[in-house]
Amino acid sequence: MSMLPFFEWMGGLRLSAFFLESVWPTPIVQNIHLIAVAVFAGSVLLVDLRMLGRGLTDTPLADLARTVEPWLIGSFVVLVLSGIPQMTSTALKQYYSPFFWWKMQAVLIGVIFTVTVRRRMAMRTEAELGPVFPKVVGVVSIALWTSVTIGARLIGLMG
Amino acid sequence: MIRSLFEWVDVMPMSIAWRESLNGYPLLLTAHVVSMGLVAGVIIFWDMRLAGMALKRVPVSKIQATMFPWMTLGLAINAGTGLAMVFSQPMRYFPNFYFWIKFFFMMFAAVNALYFHFTINNTVSEWEHDAVTPFKARMAGYASLALWAGIIVTGRMIAYSGLVPAWWLALELG
Repeated sequence: MSMLPFFEWMGGLRLSAFFLESVWPTPIVQNIHLIAVAVFAGSVLLVDLRMLGRGLTDTPLADLARTVEPWLIGSFVVLVLSGIPQMTSTALKQYYSPFFWWKMQAVLIGVIFTVTVRRRMAMRTEAELGPVFPKVVGVVSIALWTSVTIGARLIGLMG
Repeated sequence: MIRSLFEWVDVMPMSIAWRESLNGYPLLLTAHVVSMGLVAGVIIFWDMRLAGMALKRVPVSKIQATMFPWMTLGLAINAGTGLAMVFSQPMRYFPNFYFWIKFFFMMFAAVNALYFHFTINNTVSEWEHDAVTPFKARMAGYASLALWAGIIVTGRMIAYSGLVPAWWLALELG
């Protein structure tokens, strides 16, 4: 089943027309999106580095994961909300961009990985985890979110 | 004088070669954004700790000691890719309003960080476990957050070279 009709529908929304016909809304949501990227990256990296045995090693992993979780979730919500108008207003460009699909697949895998494997692991006592498993999870998480960022940037640069 | 520096770089063979490279700019800009996540991500949480917004139970000196190398690594890649982009397209950036605002924000952020380091930070051992840090430390944190938000925004806005005050365009720098 093709998703093209769905993308055509998004492109035809009043929201899309508003963003295409006005000057400032697009750069404003792009900037909000990029600041949210920085907050999200910080929230992810503090915990991933901790899993790799780097960074804030004096703080128990579960404590660290719990303190940054509101920022992780909050910035992700901002990313989605500020991403929606950018996607709908350029829906056909996104549909035909291989990088858009690369990014969204990586986002999907990243979210599932973060709320299942990574979260379950971060919230457990470290002694139960052994030395290898947390490192694998940290590397996978960094790799997934880095590939999201690369894909995202290339949508704009290479179509 | 600044203009002639940019014009001098503009005709350098290496600058021209990089400018004409098909994948050079996309690679540099992508690496710039990815490393921004590392630099800004670390700085934002460090600042939020100073401002009393996050990581309240983590001692301030621990964040500094353990995250400074990561921030420096990110900053090195970030500055390197940024400089390479300016080096390869100097006459694109020279007339750009947001490029210069970003430059000043970066200078202010550096001054703010150095001021913090050489003044308030001298007494860090006395207050680093407090959830609410001294007024000056909080102010340094808020100032840095605002400046880095400004650096990110003006960096993104470089692409919008026409969305600038009319008086700037009247300077006809391009």
